[in-house]
Parts: sequence; structure tokens; C-alpha cells
Amino acid sequence: MASMSTRSAWRTLHYSAKRRAFQPPTPYRCFSCTRASQDQKHDERMTHFGFTNVPESEKESRVGAVFSSVASSYDTMNDLMSLGIHRLWKDHFVRSLNPGSPLSARINNPTQKGWNILDIAGGTGDIAFRMLDHATNIHHDVETRVTISDINADMLAEGRKRSLSTPYYGTSRLDFVEANAESMPHIPSESVDLYTVVFGIRNFTDKQAALNEAFRVLKPGGVFACMEFSKVDNPVFDAVYKRWNFAAIPLIGQLVAGDRDSYQYLVESIERFPSQEEFRGMIQKAGFMIPGKGYENLTGGIAAIHKGIKPVPKA
Amino acid sequence: MASLARLIPRGSIPSIKPSQFSRPLTTCIRASRQPSLRPNTSHFNTPLKQSSKRSYHSDLHPPLPPHSYTNSQTAILEAALSHVPTHGFTNTSLTLGARDAGFLDVSVQLFPRGEFDLILFWLASRRGLLRAKVESDVDFFKGDVDVNGKIKALILERLRMNESVREQWQDALAQMSLLGNIPLSLAELHALSNDILSLAGDASVDGSWYTRRAAVGAIYASAEVVMTRDPSVDMSETASFVERRFEDRDILAKKVEVIGQCFSFWGNTIVGVGRSYGLKI
Repeated sequence: MASMSTRSAWRTLHYSAKRRAFQPPTPYRCFSCTRASQDQKHDERMTHFGFTNVPESEKESRVGAVFSSVASSYDTMNDLMSLGIHRLWKDHFVRSLNPGSPLSARINNPTQKGWNILDIAGGTGDIAFRMLDHATNIHHDVETRVTISDINADMLAEGRKRSLSTPYYGTSRLDFVEANAESMPHIPSESVDLYTVVFGIRNFTDKQAALNEAFRVLKPGGVFACMEFSKVDNPVFDAVYKRWNFAAIPLIGQLVAGDRDSYQYLVESIERFPSQEEFRGMIQKAGFMIPGKGYENLTGGIAAIHKGIKPVPKA
Repeated sequence: MASLARLIPRGSIPSIKPSQFSRPLTTCIRASRQPSLRPNTSHFNTPLKQSSKRSYHSDLHPPLPPHSYTNSQTAILEAALSHVPTHGFTNTSLTLGARDAGFLDVSVQLFPRGEFDLILFWLASRRGLLRAKVESDVDFFKGDVDVNGKIKALILERLRMNESVREQWQDALAQMSLLGNIPLSLAELHALSNDILSLAGDASVDGSWYTRRAAVGAIYASAEVVMTRDPSVDMSETASFVERRFEDRDILAKKVEVIGQCFSFWGNTIVGVGRSYGLKI
């Protein structure tokens, strides 16, 4: 009896993801007309939400629901899921961008006003605080400022709460904006030095539109930098990684955050994100120049850093 | 085997008109062929006519550019080089160069390798300048007619190009010797010795192709180290160092030759003695 109940509990844990994907047919059907003509959303463009397809208009609210639900346990979950490695990635990302004007370059140059950084989907401020720390401590640059933009108010609230314990709280160097990255009319064209999006672009409904918008707001010579989950190149490591993703992460999500579906979505969206080469092609399509190979794999390709530079028109 | 068979017809390329090839084949050959493999002994006497005179592959294969940086990258790097004498091969020079070229501080992200890109660009662009100088100056090798004299003149000319960054070159050498940078540094050294030998008109096609490149690379690299500690203003000590290394090389070559002669003598003697005892050899 006891073993039966354990098994059924295990089954609930293990198979609820698959069961969720099953969508019951419409309960009522008018038999005198075809099913296609009954389907109201037939004409609307579809996009993927994890492994399921949803109408484009719905994806935003669904992703919103996911992140609202994970906002409070975001850091604990990241640590558990990546075994703490996400901190190393983020540190490496910021160090390679080297934000802030070096002292030697600021001397004799009063026009230098620090960098204007836009951190998209950076609600919890992970990257923003690191960048401000880097600019202040490495370059002694107290002019560089970061605007954190996120579509999700709950994530922004989490970031605001965290900013209380940083020296940047209440200064002009840190700003929070709730906005959709696919269209940011409140940000003027050619006003941003550095545009970063870390583990966020995966959730966008229209990634190409977001890239085009990034191209618009960046100054000529400005940099688009993106860190995102990507494709593992080693097949053996890939098998282990997939196993971890699909078996362990939803389970951890259920046990720690009490939310299996959100983490099921997370691993599915990682699986659906384009490969390094495809995403590089999308960055190029938006008009960016690609430095060197265009991407840098982290931990065998689990994550990758993509960069693009907006060209300067010939004088 | 199939790949081997595809390699063989390469020698006959010049006799075939490019139009007879399908497009992908010609581009594939163009990409795979190194300029150094061309026997260009003849173009030295008539450097000005070189482009029309080089019968072998000349139409199909314009000389490869010395580096593969894009226009924007080249603009920033060129501007950054002017800051090298004061700031060295550092990210500061790159940042200042980016500003001079109309870019932002953040645009140094164009260089994933950072300051090492600046060093590589210096090496590659100077190599290109050396080639351009030799090809445009008819009497570059005034008195030197033999290959060794030309090689020496080219090495000294290349070393003199480092004059303006002499103070910074030790840092650059340190950067180049970092583990991750060694493969690219060696590739660049090989490209330089390759260029020097082909400009000097060396046409060796046997094993000496390798030994000559290794020797020129070793002499140049060691001379660079000496140059960073050379107290003389006109780099005369470096020049005499190169002179001594060439003498060493000649002595070494003579030694190898003598040892070879010795072995062949002994071999012949043993065979002769064996035959005189009736062995069927």
C-alpha cells in the first residue's frame, strides 16, 4: 500500500509535464459546420511557448505569469539549477564587457560622461549591480549609469528590493523602467552605449523585433551583448545535460519553488532557442557587425555570449 | 584516395582557363592555396612588372591580404597604433584609438582578444609593409644578389620597423608568450619567415623548405629579444647579433655537410669491404 502511494506520487511528479501538454478537444462542437470555421483563432500567428504552440498575443501574458511566480525564489533556484555556475558566467560576462571609462582615458577629456547602459530583462538587477560595481571599483568611474528595463513588474520589484542594499539606491546611476523590449518609444534613438540582455531574449515573442529595437537605441559604435542558453556541442555532455534539464530541474522547481510548470517551461524554452550560429545570423540581420566568431561558448555551450557592434557610418 | 586524386591536377591549373572551371572549384582552390607555394624567383629582377609577369597562378591568385580584420577594425587599430609609443600595447591604446576613429569606448568589444589583437595587427601590418616596400623599391637589395644576403637585409629591415615601439616590445613579447596566444604568435612568425624567404627568392622545394623557415624564424625571434635590450641608438648591436647568427648558421650547415660526407664515406667503405669478401651487396 505504501509502495503504491509512493509510486503514484512519483508518477505525478514525473508525468505531470506530459499531461499538461495534452489539450482536451472543445467540449461543444457544432456538427453542422466544420471545425476549422469554428476555430476563432485560426488566422492568428502562432509562436512557441516551451514545446506548446500558443497565439502570439498570449505568449507575453504566459511568460509574465511564469516570471511573476518565480520572482521571489529566483536566486535560490538559479543556484540550485546551475550548481552556482550562473554567478561565474555573469561575472565573466561583465568582466569581458569591461564597463566604465578607464581613468587614463578620462583625463584631459571633460566631455566623457561615462557609459549609458541599458539592461533589458534585468529585473532582479543581477547584471546591473555587477556592471556598476565594475565601473566604480575597477575604473573609478562614478558617471556610468544603468537603466534596468523589464516587462515584468514582479521581477522589477525584486530588483528594487535588492537595490536597497547597494550604494546605487536612490542615485541617478540606477533606474527602473517597465517596458516591452520589442518597442521602447520612451528611449530615444542613438542614446545607449551598451545594451545587455542576459537570459531574457529566449522569452521574447518576436526576437528579431527586439534586435531591431536594440539597433535603433544604440549609438553608432555601441555594443549589443547577450548571454543566453545555447546548444551543447559535445554529444556525450549534451546527453547528460538534457537528462539534468528535463528530469532534475522541474523536480527542483516543484520541491523548492512549489511550481513545476514554470520550470518545465524554462527547460522547454531553452530547448527551443536557436543555436549559436542561427542567433548570430539574427544579430547580423538586424544590422550589427560581428566581432570574430560572434559568440563565446560557456561551459561547453550550455550558455553563450553573443556580441554585435552597431557600425559607424562613413564620414 | 579520392581526396588524393583531387589534389593531383592542381599542378596543371595554370594551363587551364579559369572559365573552364565551375565556379565553386576555382574558389575552393583559391582558398586552399598559400601564396608562398608559388615559385617566384623570377619576379625579383623585375619587381615592377610582377603582377603581369607572375605567370604561375597570378591571375587566379592575387596575394592574400596580410590580415583579415574588417574595415572598422582596421580603422580603430590603425588609430590605436599611434598611441602605442606612449601607452604601449594595452587596452588604453585601443580605447583611445576607437575614439580617434569616431567609435565609442565600448566599441573595443570588436576585438575579442583585446590587446593581443593590437599586437597581431602590428605584426601583420608591418609584414604587409615589408612586402610593399620590397615590391615598390626596385633597388631594395642594392649589393645583395645571393639569397642569404637578401634574407639578412629583409630581417634587418623588418627589425628597423620595430624602432618606434622598441620600449613597448618586451610587453608585447610577454603577451605573445602566454599559453593561449602561442599558436597565433607562431603562425604569425611563420607567415613572416615565409614572406621573407619568398621575397628573397628562395625556391627550395625539398626538406630544406621547412628547415629554412625554421632557421629564419628562430633568427628573427631571437633578434627581437636582443633588440628590446639593445642600448645602441641605431640598433647596431642587434644588427651585429643577426650577423653572428648567420655565421653560426653557415658553420652549422658546414658541420652537417661534413658529418654527412663522413657517414657516406663509411657506408661506401663498409659496402666495398663486404663486396671484397664476396658478399652479394
